[in-house]
Formats: sequence, structure tokens, C-alpha cells
Amino acid sequence: MELQIKQLIKNYENKLTLNIKDLIIPSSTFLGIIGPNGAGKSTLAKIIATLENATSGEILYNSNPFTPQLLNDMTLVFQKPYLLRTTVYNNIAYPLTLRKIDGKEINKRVCEILEEMDIVNLKDQKAWTLSGGEAQKVALARGLIFQPSLLILDEFTANIDPSSMMVLEKTIKRFYTKYSPTIIMVTHNLQQARRLCSHVAFINKGEIEEFGEINEVIFNSKNTATKNFISGEIVL
Amino acid sequence: MREMINGIIGGFKILISLDKEVYEIIFLSLYVSLTSTLLATLVSVPLGIFIGTKKFIFKNAVVRFIYTMMSLPPVIVGLIVFLFISRKGPFGQLGLVFTPTAMIIAQFILVSPIIVGTLYTASKEKGADIKRVAKTLGANKTQTLILLIKELRFSICTGIISGFGRAISEVGAVMIVGGNIKGHTRVMTTTIAMLRNMGDYENAIAIGIVLLILSFVINSFLYHFQ
Ligand SMILES: Nc1ncnc2c1ncn2[C@@H]1O[C@H](COP(=O)(O)OP(=O)(O)OP(=O)(O)O)[C@@H](O)[C@H]1O
Ligand SMILES: [Mg+2]
Repeated sequence: MELQIKQLIKNYENKLTLNIKDLIIPSSTFLGIIGPNGAGKSTLAKIIATLENATSGEILYNSNPFTPQLLNDMTLVFQKPYLLRTTVYNNIAYPLTLRKIDGKEINKRVCEILEEMDIVNLKDQKAWTLSGGEAQKVALARGLIFQPSLLILDEFTANIDPSSMMVLEKTIKRFYTKYSPTIIMVTHNLQQARRLCSHVAFINKGEIEEFGEINEVIFNSKNTATKNFISGEIVL
Repeated sequence: MREMINGIIGGFKILISLDKEVYEIIFLSLYVSLTSTLLATLVSVPLGIFIGTKKFIFKNAVVRFIYTMMSLPPVIVGLIVFLFISRKGPFGQLGLVFTPTAMIIAQFILVSPIIVGTLYTASKEKGADIKRVAKTLGANKTQTLILLIKELRFSICTGIISGFGRAISEVGAVMIVGGNIKGHTRVMTTTIAMLRNMGDYENAIAIGIVLLILSFVINSFLYHFQ
């Protein structure tokens, strides 16, 4: 899905939080969004997912304004996912039941993704008994199962141990290779952005300071704010 | 103390006695309280979720009003309903006074705030998350409402149990609007109050025991349903 952001402004009680002049995210871009705390990254993610309204401006999805049908084709996975009060299986199956897909097909797809993510053992476990990392895997599986063509991830591997993080990243990578969706990934982990993203946008104080191919931005940035941010991150 | 023990024994005797009058009383109690709770549930669950998850003007005032209604004394509700439906009242022509329907109306008013309040609290806490998840996974409006109800099912059951508890155990409202007419509007609580006035403590306690047993059975059923 191609995204076109035009003159997007978001104010929270008259405080300018987001001000994006013009940004085109071509279809099948894997865009990393980086920037300091409070820069407006999550706000942008939520506005794109229509969980939050912009104060002004607009976003075009494949050159069209938003329509509710689009919700069938995009998703947002949060850092702290809300899982339904049921089993892992039912959580992952939920988006497919919404789409009235028949039981056999649901079963097949859910089992596939459980195996892919190596969580078959959690299949019948109650969602509220999962650890944070396990819950995040289930949330990702649930977001991917209906093959959205726009996937938004907001710090989805924060507080996740390295091995689970690898599983999550591998899953995303495989999904990206297989279906070529547009992915927007907010992250504080520059290494993660380098492992996954094709492009990166640096947001600072609500504005996009820089946007480009990942290695261009990381290694050849002319922008001081970006350079400072990146050098700080790399040291870490 | 002897009255207590005899009453307890009497309670079980009554339950198996198949006495027609007693069964009518029990049946009417259940009919009135279950109907009022059911109707209140149908209205109050969506209403509580709405108040808990939507923004609108005077919301704080509405919430405070509901909390106040939760502790409204049954006699007051009975009195107000009575004034509305009494012959000279605005709904006097309907002829509802001293009927089971009047009792259902009064109990509906008593039960609704409890269910609304319970659902308000629950959906205020979890409603936004649930709606967000529903939206990100592609649920439409109806599917979102269904998901809300499913996810809040524990609170819904809690609300129904507390609401039904209030309905089946109150005496003030049904007494005023129903009048405790034998074979017509006499329910368990009004029978107990009447028996006590007559000094028949044993039978009063016996009916009390029946009330307790029935509440237990119905609550167990609802609890199991969760
Ligand atoms: N509902 C809200 N009401 C008022 N201000 C808000 C609200 N949500 C976010 N903000 C403000 O908007 C700014 C941007 O927040 P946002 O969550 O988008 O930052 P972020 O870039 O995701 O930061 P982080 O890296 O810490 O997650 C912050 O200053 C925040 O305080
Ligand atoms: Mg954030």
C-alpha cells in the first residue's frame, strides 16, 4: 500500500505535536521511524492507523482517502498488546473469524503461523497467562494472519529478550519477503532498523528531519540533529 | 433461637411441601425479579459501555447521577413509581398500580443503575483497549460491540448478579407499588415482612431460607455461565 501524507498537523491542546509537510511512502517500503522520546513517532503511527485523528491535513492510501474497508487491510501492533480473554489460538484466529473465513482454513493458517514462530506449545494456553515476550509473539501472529498490506509496528520489541526479538524479526522479514507489504516500524533500536528496514525517517519535535534509504541516512546524513541522534545511538 | 432452628427446618419443608400458595409466591418473586433484571440488562449493558467509552457533554454529571442511583433506597423508588402510576398520576389510566408489571418497573429502576455502573467502570478501564484492538484487526461496528460484550463478560455477570440480588431481596418498592395482595402481588420479601408483623417468626424465617436457597441456585448458575 502506498501512503501519501500531506500537510499533516496534530495538536494536543494547542501543543503542536506533529507537523509533516509532505511524505510519500511508496508501496512495499519497509520504513523505520526513529527519533527521540516525545518526537511524535507513536502519534504518527496512530494517525496512519486512524486510531487518532489529525488536527488537519490528510493521508492518502493508494491515492485514495481513508475508507473503513481499508481497516481490513492494515494493522498496528503495539509495544504492550491487548490480547483477548481467550486462548492463544482464538486470539490469532480472531481476525480470520471476523472475515468469515471457514474453520478449516483458519485452523490451517493458525497452525502454520504457530509453527513458523515456534509457539505451537502455547496454542491452548490462556492469553492472560503468557509472558511479555510470548504475548508479543501472539500479537504479531494475530496481526499478520490476515496478510495486511500495511503493517505498523510501534516499538514492538521493546522489553523483549534477544532470542525472542530474533524470532519476531525473522517473522517480520519472512512476511515482508513473501507478501511485500508496506511496513512502518517505530523503533529506538538503530541496529534493528538496519537489520530490517529499506528506508528510514528521522523525526524530531514532530517534524521529519530526514527521510531516505537507510544507509544513506545513517552514514551520510548532512542533518546535525540526525547525526547527533545517530552517533548517540551507535555508541550505545 | 428456637424460632431460627424451626424456621430452617420449616424452610426445607416448605420447599418440598408443594403448597400452592407458597409456590405462587416463589414463582412471582422469581418472575418479577428475573424479568426486571433481564430488561435492565438489555438496556444497561450497552448504556454502561457507551458511557464508559464515549466522550460527551455532562458525562461527569451523568456518572455521578448513576452512582447516586445505585444507592437509592427502594422505598423512594417505590414511592416515585407509585406516584406516576397511581390513579391520579400521569400514567394513571394504564391501571398499573398494584400489579406485577408495576413491581417490574420499580425493580427495573433499582437494578439498572447497578448494571450501568458496573459496566461503566469496566469499560472505562478496558473499553478503549478493546475498541482499539478491534479496529486494528478489522472489526466493523457490530463486531466491535460483540467483542466488547465478550471481553467484558465477567463484569456483565457481576452486574447481573448484584442487580438480581438487589431486586430479589428488596421489599420497599414492591410493597409500595404491588401492595402485597394475596395471590396477585405477594412475593417472598413482602410475605416475610407480613409474617413478622403477624408474629409468625418461624414461617418468616422459613421463607427467608427459601429466598436464600433460590438466590444461591441462581447465582451459581450465573457464576457457572461466566
Ligand atoms: N493524548 C495525548 N494528550 C496530550 N499530549 C499527548 C497525547 N499523546 C501524546 N502526547 C504528547 O505528544 C508528544 C508526542 O508523543 P508520542 O507518543 O508520539 O512520542 P514518541 O515519539 O512516540 O515518544 P517515545 O519515543 O517516548 O515513544 C509527547 O510530547 C506527548 O506528551
Ligand atoms: Mg512512542
